[in-house]
Amino acid sequence: MASSEDRDGLAAEYVLGTLDEAERRDAEHLLQTDASFRDGVEAWEKRLSPLALALEPVAVPEQLRERVMRAAVGDQPRAATVIDFSARARRWRSVAVAGWAVAAAATGFVLLNPAALPPTQGRFVAVLEAEGPGPAFIASVDIARGTISVRAVSARAPEGKSHELWALGGGRDKPQSLGVIAADFRIPAARLGKIDSAALGDTVFAVSLEPEGGSPTGQPTGPVLFTGKLVATE
Amino acid sequence: MNAIAHDPDLELSDLLMQIAGGDRRAFGRLYDLTSNRLFAVTRCMLRRPEMAEEALQETFVRIWQKASAYDPGQAKPMGWLATIARNQAIDLRRRAAERETDSLEDDEGHAYGVVPEAHFSFEMKRLRDCLALLPEDRQDMVLLAYYQGWSRDELAARFSRPVTTIKTLLRRSLAILRECIDGKL
Repeated sequence: MASSEDRDGLAAEYVLGTLDEAERRDAEHLLQTDASFRDGVEAWEKRLSPLALALEPVAVPEQLRERVMRAAVGDQPRAATVIDFSARARRWRSVAVAGWAVAAAATGFVLLNPAALPPTQGRFVAVLEAEGPGPAFIASVDIARGTISVRAVSARAPEGKSHELWALGGGRDKPQSLGVIAADFRIPAARLGKIDSAALGDTVFAVSLEPEGGSPTGQPTGPVLFTGKLVATE
Repeated sequence: MNAIAHDPDLELSDLLMQIAGGDRRAFGRLYDLTSNRLFAVTRCMLRRPEMAEEALQETFVRIWQKASAYDPGQAKPMGWLATIARNQAIDLRRRAAERETDSLEDDEGHAYGVVPEAHFSFEMKRLRDCLALLPEDRQDMVLLAYYQGWSRDELAARFSRPVTTIKTLLRRSLAILRECIDGKL
């Protein structure tokens, strides 16, 4: 049995930060399970915190504020980016809020839940985003005009590389290239094949990083940077 | 305006309560009021500025998530916030040390500033007086660990003592500090 002096020494060094790994794990376990140890740690925090509070303030780089707000509070600035982008994106956001568009992960593709299939006509939009904050591309399909357009919001390919757009799912057995994304990228929607809302609802767009000019093989060769699903906007 | 409204502790406690209720504006205000002081904490613990910034970001993420756990009866708000910042910095420092074993070695002499003694809080004056009871090298050990996150191994190398001796010296020093700070000496 550890003496109370040992116990308090453990609490003190836990706060000071000098415990070795095994001791620290013991202390963390006690913090979870032992109220008197927790009180001991809090007392030590109080005894030593005047040191931290006596430090001269250090100016924080200004750009950090937004980063911190985004990391802590989450979706707010990201949603704002989408809202500012266009009316279609605004609609996308409300769809996302309703839980239709699951945030796309950079790994693997998730097919749309059948209950979330979009209505039968009109426009569809996919927001292609990385795991970080902010959409990177917004791809939209306009059935009436028969076009697919992609607008870059916050993505630029590194020197010597290209972003290539792919369609997956929706009856495809492998990724279909929709071309290398250039400024104001627009291609005939017919490239997607048969356009009906069910197929579009099952379609996932993805952007991969490829050698300049696009994949040499016709299939993605580089990392998949962004994915997004189509949702109806009108 | 009354005096109560200008009590900084009270304002911070109020903000924490609003943040616990999900108030984003209160969170922004808390950031503006405290980030420079909390950055001082992460900055002296982490030599690389980008790591200090990451620790500060993690600190505010924790504050946003944990604000409801703040108990004004238990701790002053600034002390509570500084503890979170220090813990985040310690975590990050430890993870960095695991990744790159020798990257933290040239830590010594990394500067941090303490406010002039004339501006010390009552608690800081008492702590200073209690530290003064310790031999100088013990004072340095405690301060290097507290401010810059030095481990026992690092202290052992710096003070040319075995690690077990460092542990003994730290525990003894801390016990003296406790008796002194708690007014039992």
